[in-house]
Amino acid sequence: MNKYILLRKWSGLVFCIIIMSSCGHKKDEYHSINDKIEAESKDYQGTSITSDGYIDHVKTIEITEGNHTFLIPERKSQLQSYSCMECHTKPLTEMQKNNKSYKKAHWNISLNHANENTMNCISCHSGKNMDNLHSLTGKQIDFNNSYVVCSQCHTKQFDDWKGGAHGKRIGSWAPPRASLTCVNCHDPHKPHIASKWPARFNTEKVKERK
Amino acid sequence: MSDNNKKWFSLNLNFSKKQKSESDSCGCGKTAGGCNSGENNDLNQDDFIEAAVNASIGEERRKDGFEQVFDVKMDRRSAFKKLTASLMIGAGAVSTSCSMIAGEETKEKAQIDWEEQFKGNYKLMTDEEKQGTVDRLVRSYQMRTGKNISMSSKNAEEDVLFGYAFNISKCQGYMDCVNACVEENNQDRNSEMQYIRIHEMKDGKGFNFNESDDNYYHEVPAEGHFYMGTQCFHCDNPPCVEVCPVQATWREEDGLVVVDYDWCVGCRYCMAACPYDGRRFNWSKPEVPETEVNKNQHYLGNRMRKKGVMEKCTFCVQRSRSGQNPACVEACPTGARIFGNLLDPESTIRWVLENKKVFRLKEDLGTEPKFWYFMD
Repeated sequence: MNKYILLRKWSGLVFCIIIMSSCGHKKDEYHSINDKIEAESKDYQGTSITSDGYIDHVKTIEITEGNHTFLIPERKSQLQSYSCMECHTKPLTEMQKNNKSYKKAHWNISLNHANENTMNCISCHSGKNMDNLHSLTGKQIDFNNSYVVCSQCHTKQFDDWKGGAHGKRIGSWAPPRASLTCVNCHDPHKPHIASKWPARFNTEKVKERK
Repeated sequence: MSDNNKKWFSLNLNFSKKQKSESDSCGCGKTAGGCNSGENNDLNQDDFIEAAVNASIGEERRKDGFEQVFDVKMDRRSAFKKLTASLMIGAGAVSTSCSMIAGEETKEKAQIDWEEQFKGNYKLMTDEEKQGTVDRLVRSYQMRTGKNISMSSKNAEEDVLFGYAFNISKCQGYMDCVNACVEENNQDRNSEMQYIRIHEMKDGKGFNFNESDDNYYHEVPAEGHFYMGTQCFHCDNPPCVEVCPVQATWREEDGLVVVDYDWCVGCRYCMAACPYDGRRFNWSKPEVPETEVNKNQHYLGNRMRKKGVMEKCTFCVQRSRSGQNPACVEACPTGARIFGNLLDPESTIRWVLENKKVFRLKEDLGTEPKFWYFMD
């Protein structure tokens, strides 16, 4: 009789241990992936992986917007005939008058950005200082920081871009972060991205599904 | 080769040049078991095969088809003869490699084949063993094609958990990602295997995969449609891993769900278990034109696969573990694809998860995919 009670006691104890140990199993440590990310990133120390070597082919500048500091491609050295003052020695009105004495330029640029009521050349370009862009209130903006011009209207895209939800990282996911700036993807004179044909068509899939 | 606590049996054929000078002894170590060094060295390979074939089929040689199988007189003596013959053929492979007549390269090939055939599961290997198999695969490729590849066995980095976000409002269905993926990951060109599917979905119908088209060919984006990409979601609780009977697929520490192509037996349980159509099977031997082979490879990633094994997206492990973005992320011209380290609070992927309205596919299954969708 005594033996039987002892056996029951022990089996109960063993049962309890099994239950408890299964609760502490690593798999059930977190309720969801979000809990896991939050918990495991609390003492994040950084990794040895960096974007070095993957962003070197681009000349970059560092910008700080809000809480975000990151690299964007330098722009001015990429412009075909910067500085503008090399040609724009006289006011625009005068250059437009004397057609023959000045070389024709910018003939291939047509503005297809918003509508005529909203935008024309001088919405972004300064007639007084060709080497810089300007804001709606006439403040000078460096060509390297052209995103500041865009951000005046496209505020939502600007917020997403700062955070990293809009636009594209250069080369690497690792820090330091380098992202393309607005004009690297969008032509500011016609920012809409054209439709095209898909890069690939799977002929085998067609056969399989017949 | 030298370490004593190896997890699998190894054959020491000693193909190194030193052995050549000791012309008298066969290079075969005792472990080989079946090396009959004395007699067979005199036979050259053709003679040996001839003898083996004679011994095994003998008089049935002129018969063919099922006659060979069914119309056979089999007494005790011939049965023994056949058994001995097949044993001899087996031993022949070893003896060829031991033979002084066979070239160094043949021996090395046999050594590599043996080691590769009987190596353990990659998941259980030490770093040296991983390096060993990678070195063998590189050498084997070099001997077969004369071309050099680089293959990595880089382990998961600490404090890294890879995650992916896909912007549905940005994707335009260009399929540049699919192209880049096929090229990066050496996928079979004949069967046109693709890890990524871009589903063209009708506006207002929700995520209806039955009515969507993942193989469209017209100018995109099409009016009234949106595009949604799927691939392996690298679930944190992956059902495909649970069902694998041989543990040939597992979740790495950095969250990547990977396959050991040499351990996979091709049962396709994982394919059936995956709720996202993330896995692909090689029905035929994968072929990639030599000029198009991506030679920057990882053991768990884009190295050449064989017939009858599973494969899938690895978030380009050969790229991501060294800091690069996966090929699809890099190729996307719209910036719809965002990749990064979920454990880095400063990473862009974390900003997306914390500031955009994100969701995942079939979240209720509890698979915890690390692939989020969001809209502008």
